[in-house]
Amino acid sequence: MKLPWPFASARRRDELRQEFEAHLQMAVADRVAQGEPEETARKAAMREFGNIPLVQDVTSGMWRWAWMEQFERDVHYALRQIRRSPDYGAAVVGTLALGIGAAAAMFTVVDRVLLQPTPYRDAGQLVSVQETNGSDYTWPSPWLDIQSWQAQSRTLSEIAFSAKSPGRNFLVQQANGSEVDAERVSSNLFTALGVQPSIGSGFLPERPTFAADKNAGTLVLSNAAWKELFGADRTIIGKVVKVNNDSYTVTGVMPPGFRYPEGSHETPQVWIPIQLGSDDANRSMKAMQYTVLARLSHGATLQSASKEMSLLQQHIAMEYTNARLRKDHSVVRVQNYAGVLVNRDTRTALLALQAASGVLWLIAVINATNLLLARSVTRQREIAMRGALGASRWRVMQQMIAEGLTLSCAAAVMGAGVAFGSIRLLAHELSEALPLPASATPNGLILLVLVLMTVSSALMSTAWPAFLAVRAPIDSALKQGGIRAGSSRGHHRLRSALVAAEIALSLTLLVVCGLLLRTIYTLRHVPLGFRSDHILVANLSIPSYRFTEKDMGETLYGPLLERARHLHGVESAGLISEVPLGKTFVLHLEMQLSSTTIVAFMKAVSPEIQRVFGFRMAAGRFFGPEDNANSEPVVVVNEAFARLYSPDPHNPAMVLGAKLSKDSPLRIIGVLDDERQKAVAEPAVPEVEIAIPQITPKSGFYRAIEGIAMDLAVRTDQPAAEMIPELRDTLRQTSPELQNATITTMDQIVEDSYGSQRLAAHLLEIFGGSALLLCIAGLYGLLTYIVSQRNRELGVRVALGATRSALLWLVMRQAGTMLLTGTVIGAGMALISVRFVRGFLFGVNPYDGWSLSGAAVLLLVTGLTAAYLPARHAAHVSPVDALRAE
Amino acid sequence: MLILRTLQWGPQHGYGIVLALRTHSGDVLQVETGTLYPALHRLERKGWVRSEWKQTESKQRARYYKITASGKKQLVNNLSRWEQIVTAIGSIMHGNPGEGEA
Repeated sequence: MKLPWPFASARRRDELRQEFEAHLQMAVADRVAQGEPEETARKAAMREFGNIPLVQDVTSGMWRWAWMEQFERDVHYALRQIRRSPDYGAAVVGTLALGIGAAAAMFTVVDRVLLQPTPYRDAGQLVSVQETNGSDYTWPSPWLDIQSWQAQSRTLSEIAFSAKSPGRNFLVQQANGSEVDAERVSSNLFTALGVQPSIGSGFLPERPTFAADKNAGTLVLSNAAWKELFGADRTIIGKVVKVNNDSYTVTGVMPPGFRYPEGSHETPQVWIPIQLGSDDANRSMKAMQYTVLARLSHGATLQSASKEMSLLQQHIAMEYTNARLRKDHSVVRVQNYAGVLVNRDTRTALLALQAASGVLWLIAVINATNLLLARSVTRQREIAMRGALGASRWRVMQQMIAEGLTLSCAAAVMGAGVAFGSIRLLAHELSEALPLPASATPNGLILLVLVLMTVSSALMSTAWPAFLAVRAPIDSALKQGGIRAGSSRGHHRLRSALVAAEIALSLTLLVVCGLLLRTIYTLRHVPLGFRSDHILVANLSIPSYRFTEKDMGETLYGPLLERARHLHGVESAGLISEVPLGKTFVLHLEMQLSSTTIVAFMKAVSPEIQRVFGFRMAAGRFFGPEDNANSEPVVVVNEAFARLYSPDPHNPAMVLGAKLSKDSPLRIIGVLDDERQKAVAEPAVPEVEIAIPQITPKSGFYRAIEGIAMDLAVRTDQPAAEMIPELRDTLRQTSPELQNATITTMDQIVEDSYGSQRLAAHLLEIFGGSALLLCIAGLYGLLTYIVSQRNRELGVRVALGATRSALLWLVMRQAGTMLLTGTVIGAGMALISVRFVRGFLFGVNPYDGWSLSGAAVLLLVTGLTAAYLPARHAAHVSPVDALRAE
Repeated sequence: MLILRTLQWGPQHGYGIVLALRTHSGDVLQVETGTLYPALHRLERKGWVRSEWKQTESKQRARYYKITASGKKQLVNNLSRWEQIVTAIGSIMHGNPGEGEA
């Protein structure tokens, strides 16, 4: 009896038959014994027994797997039904697949970014610890603070810390360097994250001291670094590798997929244990600053940890001698580590998009309901027949739900394909807009959601049609002719209401989509303050370790510019520490003026950069060849700076000739028009530019700027595809490490800076377009159906003298009612829902009349066009054919 | 309950149960096969009876049902509840608490 159910049930069925047979034979034998002739005895026994198949069915209904069997039969029947009308099946499956696919794709992204962003063990217990003055800005912490926390905190354990290794880092193998991300970490960081190296032992648990500890001179490789740079050498442990000019012994390789800090790309990384130095012994401006993370102790919550840490910090902050630092480090904020990675804007954006995809799903389900309703009407006779033969209503409903499940299962499979395919297609945009990689690998939760969506799609789309179908009285359905059966008014009204609901939901999506398109349009037309066309940008990974004793300006940048300038097709070439909107490197300059502090962007540029980008001057001049290492050090500022700095905010020219600060040798020679720096949507902030030829190893800026970031920008009339290899060749000739630079067009950089808005707009275009398509299909389907149902009536009308235009008007009026009802309700819903996307919009009022009316007009026009076809069909009904058809 | 009670007298097959019920109720109770077999299979699923194939006295292979320990317990429970109800109904019908007919 331990057979799997299909076999077990076949055997039980057999046994049951035998059991009944035995029963009958005994009954016959008894009657024969009482003297009846065998033939009569047999008939009497049969009569007494009753309806054998029925008893058999009811009895087998008592078995455990009975419903499974029934369900299997229902599915078989459903498949037969679908095969009989494949176009109908394809319509339902396609509709649902679209809805399920969109929602599943969005959920995959939401799941990855919001629900389980970190691959670390017990990520929920992992917290980030940040110091703040109570505002939104947070500051990293000096070692002395961390030391106090480690000693005193009871709510946090495994307090670990890290800092990015300064400058550019290269893993050097045989005179060739490959750039890696290097992070200096405390020896307990991997323990805190709960991830251990897959090869080797990693760092030894050492208490940080100021003397060199056992971890000094060791290093752990990321899986990507190990594979790409060492060919997955399993004997790597104990080998000595060089990072820049220092040698380290490899003690571990981390498992694949491990990243720290979390980022959107899995690049080669190395982790070097922190050795405390003199910069860690104080809390001054110069002290090393660390990012801190920890685990909540058993029983501690975020609230209790925040409370305890802030209490501790009250005493710790007293140790700060600088008043401003004391204030900036006065409060400790303990937050979920995963929560810190994703900012609030991204979170709302994703949730809004998830909601939008949910709306699309709902539209798809409504459309499927509508299709199934139409279907159940044509099958009314069949259902009535089943009822007449004794099928219970529940049984018929079960059967129809099984059909719905079959359809939505097929849809879910297709939908999943659509979802994962589209994530792959959108991979680039996703990585620009999101802080974390969105992989297209399904996990348990995603599959569960997919199953839930499948089942609820089936239930929602079949429950109503099934309920209506079984509630319909049997006799009238059987009595009436097949064609005209069941075209009741209530039924039509229900289907019209569904179409109107679809229209309303679609309008909501379209309005939001319209708002985002306007946002993108506005963003594209914001004056950037520079030209972005025909520019190629190479983001250089500067091999600064090669130039420790040399002046990079002379030995690297000079020759590079010279070569680039003479490339065929290059009009001008310039260097800038970071191109506008580049998002790769930001250096702040803080200046204490008499009354205020000015925080300014600091950029190093070569004089030609003005010609590359077409920067315009508001006053004064840009750098020229006359500004060199031997001339007076000068700077160019932007208007935002001048407004703050100048005694007269409206006359930027007033700052010309002034010294940058009281005891600075730098003199301001020009004021630039403001350009967009970080994002197109953000106004310019103060900026100070210095000329690269004037930065020598002796100047204070040399270390801060030259060795870290530099972009080479060239203006060219050649196509990018031809120019990029040539440019790469030039870079390689200058220094072999430079050939790995990322080269893109400036247009692409500007485009990428739209990030989440562009992603949202793209997705909403897809969602809105699909919604429009679905609801138009729904409208068209319903009208075509109604016209075919009213064929006879229309024929009579024509026969009685109705004009063609009157018939056209009749159908169009019906469509118009649905469209108008849907539009009015949809407009109301749109006005409510735009509140959730307000954070995305730029330069557009959320209650923008253009988007609303545009979406409404689009919907009405396409809707009426779709209605026109069945209406024209109605108008051309031939009275003779229509009347003869019955 | 009646089926369980019949099985207390010993293992029996479906036809036997029909006969037993008819005889013991003095031809008053007539069990339909359409009720009997589903009931038997339900009882088996609940684990109150067990079944096996055996030969009858007349060399006929038949499925015999046997009451299990948990089936017996269930029967005792049902019986006491049944008596309570009968007593209750009887006391209403006759106005005095008295004997019910089991």
